[in-house]
Amino acid sequence: MITCIETTRFGRIEVDEEAVITFPQGLFGFEERRRFVVLCLDEKSPFRWLQSLEDPSLAFVVIEPRHFMPDYAPTISDADVEALGLEADTPYLTFVIVTIPPGKPEEMTANLMGPIIINAATRIAHQVIVEDEDYTTKHSILEEMKKTQSKVRKGADAGTHAQGEPKHCDRR
Amino acid sequence: MLVLTRKVNQSIVIGDDIEVVVLEVRGEQVRIGVRAPRAIAIHRKEVYEQILQENLKAASASADDLVSLESRLAEDGNL
Repeated sequence: MITCIETTRFGRIEVDEEAVITFPQGLFGFEERRRFVVLCLDEKSPFRWLQSLEDPSLAFVVIEPRHFMPDYAPTISDADVEALGLEADTPYLTFVIVTIPPGKPEEMTANLMGPIIINAATRIAHQVIVEDEDYTTKHSILEEMKKTQSKVRKGADAGTHAQGEPKHCDRR
Repeated sequence: MLVLTRKVNQSIVIGDDIEVVVLEVRGEQVRIGVRAPRAIAIHRKEVYEQILQENLKAASASADDLVSLESRLAEDGNL
């Protein structure tokens, strides 16, 4: 089923009910916001928007860490694995939230300590806390991109285009 | 805040299914065990706070900033 929702940044957009991602516990600091979609505004870019369906102004820039840190391997606790309903063969996606200081996008950082794990089969997601020492809440993405630029190329992006380009709804 | 005095191996229960046990006291450090249903998230407060604060900052990202960043990355051959 397709519904239209209002967003502060992107205007009215069409959302396919099947693309909705549910966070049963919300995100830290936003526990009451449970339903989100991943928006892709530029197919060439690895960045996506995680848009709340319940708060038009709430959206996070997210990226799959493989685009800048292919060896990112956070330890997910048993409790989180269980909450996500992940079995050994369940497909899942990992996103990290990107912080962009206002007016200084080159200083953007990724929160590697609080990744978002999405069970791709059920579309249930959790923001988990990773206590591996190497992963901080402010990891420079540009630095990593420079390092991995030659190794990672765009394409082979299966799984992240579930929502595709946001379609704008007619205003009535 | 409710304040209780406990010895090593003594515990407190919260509700029906949460138990907090004092395992060891060594100088200024206290080792604590928590028995709770798996659905209950338990975190060190400072780590939890750090992620919460980062989420609050990330939530104010501007679409224009991301677009300008993407064009810069494209120019540099990073996209």
